[in-house]
Amino acid sequence: MPEEFSERRRATAWLRRTAGPSFDDRAEGPAEEHLDDDLGPGHPALGPGRLYRRVSGADRHAREVTPQELDTLGDPMATLFFRRNAFPMSVQELLDGLPAAPGQPKVYLVSEAGTIPPDAAPHLRRDIRFAITYAVQGNEADLLISTGANSDPRTTFLQVASWDERNEVFNYYMRVTPSWVWTGSSWDALAAPSRGKGCFDSHINGSVVMKELKQPWLNWQSQSAAIQLAEDDPLREDPLYRRVIGAENLEPTVRSQITRWTRGRLRAVTDGGTVQHPDHLLRQLFTTTTVNLTSTATQSAAVRPDDDPLHLPMGFWLNNDALLDDLELEVDAAVPAAPAALYTEGLDRFGFRLEEKASGFSRPGDTFFAFVVPEAALEDNAVIRALWQQGLITPKFAAAALMVDFPNPVFSADRARLMRYVPTEATAAAGLGDRIAERIVAAAGQLPADSPEGRFAAHWSRPEDTWRADFAQRLTAYLEHVQQRITTADGFDDYVRLAESRRRQFKAMKLHEFELTLPVTDIPETAPTLRMREDATVTALTAQP
Amino acid sequence: MTTLSSYGPPGGLTDLSDFGRKAWDVFVSDNIDAAIKGPDPAEVLNDGPRSQFYNLTKTDTAPDAQTATVSWTAFPRLLKVNSTSDLQRWKKAEASRKVQDEYCEWSVTRTNGKITRATFTCEGPEYWDVLAKTSPETVLRLYRRHISPDVQEGDLFVNGAYDRFNKWNSTTTNGAMHLIQKNNTLAAEIELAAAATLRRVIDGTELTAEQELIKCSRYGQAERNSDPHIGGSVNALARQKADISLADPVGLYFDGLSTEGWETPDGSDPQSYWSYERGDAEHRVRAVYEVPANKGFTVGDITINGRALQFGAQIADFITIKLVAVACRFGQSTTAPQTACRQDSPAELARPEEAFVASAFSAYGYLGTAPGQALRPTRNA
Repeated sequence: MPEEFSERRRATAWLRRTAGPSFDDRAEGPAEEHLDDDLGPGHPALGPGRLYRRVSGADRHAREVTPQELDTLGDPMATLFFRRNAFPMSVQELLDGLPAAPGQPKVYLVSEAGTIPPDAAPHLRRDIRFAITYAVQGNEADLLISTGANSDPRTTFLQVASWDERNEVFNYYMRVTPSWVWTGSSWDALAAPSRGKGCFDSHINGSVVMKELKQPWLNWQSQSAAIQLAEDDPLREDPLYRRVIGAENLEPTVRSQITRWTRGRLRAVTDGGTVQHPDHLLRQLFTTTTVNLTSTATQSAAVRPDDDPLHLPMGFWLNNDALLDDLELEVDAAVPAAPAALYTEGLDRFGFRLEEKASGFSRPGDTFFAFVVPEAALEDNAVIRALWQQGLITPKFAAAALMVDFPNPVFSADRARLMRYVPTEATAAAGLGDRIAERIVAAAGQLPADSPEGRFAAHWSRPEDTWRADFAQRLTAYLEHVQQRITTADGFDDYVRLAESRRRQFKAMKLHEFELTLPVTDIPETAPTLRMREDATVTALTAQP
Repeated sequence: MTTLSSYGPPGGLTDLSDFGRKAWDVFVSDNIDAAIKGPDPAEVLNDGPRSQFYNLTKTDTAPDAQTATVSWTAFPRLLKVNSTSDLQRWKKAEASRKVQDEYCEWSVTRTNGKITRATFTCEGPEYWDVLAKTSPETVLRLYRRHISPDVQEGDLFVNGAYDRFNKWNSTTTNGAMHLIQKNNTLAAEIELAAAATLRRVIDGTELTAEQELIKCSRYGQAERNSDPHIGGSVNALARQKADISLADPVGLYFDGLSTEGWETPDGSDPQSYWSYERGDAEHRVRAVYEVPANKGFTVGDITINGRALQFGAQIADFITIKLVAVACRFGQSTTAPQTACRQDSPAELARPEEAFVASAFSAYGYLGTAPGQALRPTRNA
């Protein structure tokens, strides 16, 4: 690995250059830039055998962790390594320092270039990473490691999320040779100074992340697809590679980790019956704090025009996880499916291609699995479910909110507008949802019926014994409209444009690390942001007051 | 390494008599030979012979042999793709054994609507056919032990012939003794593995991805978890120019159950309620999830990531099934890749439940159907 990415992920989507050996507006190289990003400008030289802390946004620069601070860290990295003055400098040293446990570690493989045959793109850097989990105490993983796979283990990045059972948080660490840096805990992801900064640009709500969480686990080695290696790739001989198992096994681990942190978080923030920051919780209902990526389960290159219709992912049409699974709205409709010919023709017509500007790589076609789009994140849905399970809001409140602009499960400006009615100061946990509803309903009286407030108020007024059936009926009708439109050329093209619009909104997030995660198209960069309507037509998003 | 003397029963099971064991060996060996030969070129093009597939009892396994475990999720992927929500797919999967097509089937016992026991099996039906032919009394005894003491001989045998789809093994509520879904057969597993050893170079490009391989070779359905993954994994070995077979004992096995995110009312380990009832330590073929009565709660009181366990299908989400392939003579195969995809006539597609090769008994005085007359097993849609 070139020095410029020493101990860093090669996040191609973050590079501002298009190609070439250096940044055009930086006197210093990327390695120095990244080090400053991580450790803060003017940071002291790191000494070996010490743990430093630097929470981006909260700490100006790195400093040594005090013994008292170290004592408060209760996760395996702190207790098994740092408190014992052990500072593993490679993933193998780290694993060797863990107590033996049956079936551990579990090793996974991910690469955005992994399904591109090596001989078809011999010069493409494949940036293959290991994700490793280890259950140190009990059956649940409490150590989650991310590190480069096809690079020098002592110079590639090495990052760890380590569950602290005592404090019910993840602690985040990264190795910066010759030492380690604590980059914050889950709480720092939520605190204003550090939110979205440093490692929390990905661990947005404090939890571990697997963007492509669901089948077919795009980009991951799994039962659905294998990451391809050249016959002579030295990675084949790596002991960790020989342990790689499918990402279908990682999904339940990540789901469990998100549930675990959400539960601990809710317990802590409602302690004593008062919610300290209601807005921190409710933003996960009303806004899109983060997303998962979903796709069809069909390999794009294998689709032929006369194939069976292509089932597009449910998360593209609505937040099915929250509405259909958690809130149990029973829709009577099928998964919308597009004629395969429209999909294959669309690839050419819209100029679908995979492109990595950083290396000049380009090849026609969609991502390996067809039609990847952002969908509502498990992180957000887990909080919504926990809110009503713990009585801060009711299921009806959650449904009334999610039904506002439900055809836009992510990036909905209409739902986000309702955040203004959420208190930002400490407030009683009991009846929180009812009080927010009162505010919205009061505001709705002065606004048009089709305003977000008006729509929420209408939902909220539905009778207790019929709201589920009423909402389910609307969802059913919507999906039927979608199915009708998706079989027409105009309708399908609208949905291609809508998908691209949402992908571009995702690309604006720091969560988008690698250019090859998503396809690019010929749709002009100046094209308006789009939104879906309940009649299954697509329209430009208009600015709201 | 040496040539295997005979194929053993799946899971190292000890139910068969000596006679039955011989019949089983013949069944497996004949199916493998038929799979190596491939379909009749007069009827099917570009699908044989599969000369990188070999019979462990007839061809030596070389010292460079490696095993490859191929595992997949037990919940049917087809249902996942075609359902609007988890709730919907769980209900669909629980409605009929006909949709449980990932080499794992299950049956659930409920009390007052709450799950008390879920039974999972990955035993191929052919083994039970052989057992029923050679030791019918054992079949009855096993049903009574694992399904219900109320099972009667007449429930299992019709005019002396074993009924795979008997009332104790045909629903999702009344018991699951072995696989019955039409594609869940060992013969289909063997055929799939053999067909997947054919490398495909189409228009100068070698196919390597699971779905394009299965669409070209047509050894199963692209939208299952199992078929394309088995095929893709086997084909990856074939591309290393190795000779390949299924490891003895040939069968489908439980790879494990993950209970991450599961919570019990009393904080006890949810993994402790998963037990295996049949198969040796490396080859489990029957599993049960049940909480002992003295615990004061039932399976239905367990939660998974905060959601109550209402369906056996939720457990299937966390179960993995596996098979084990063996490969040797890496780099030595001189078999040329196929340069076209399989082409066959619809008549060639057989219903796999008819795929039991009755000739397994021919050498021992039983049914004398010639192997060539047996219908070919293929994993159908």
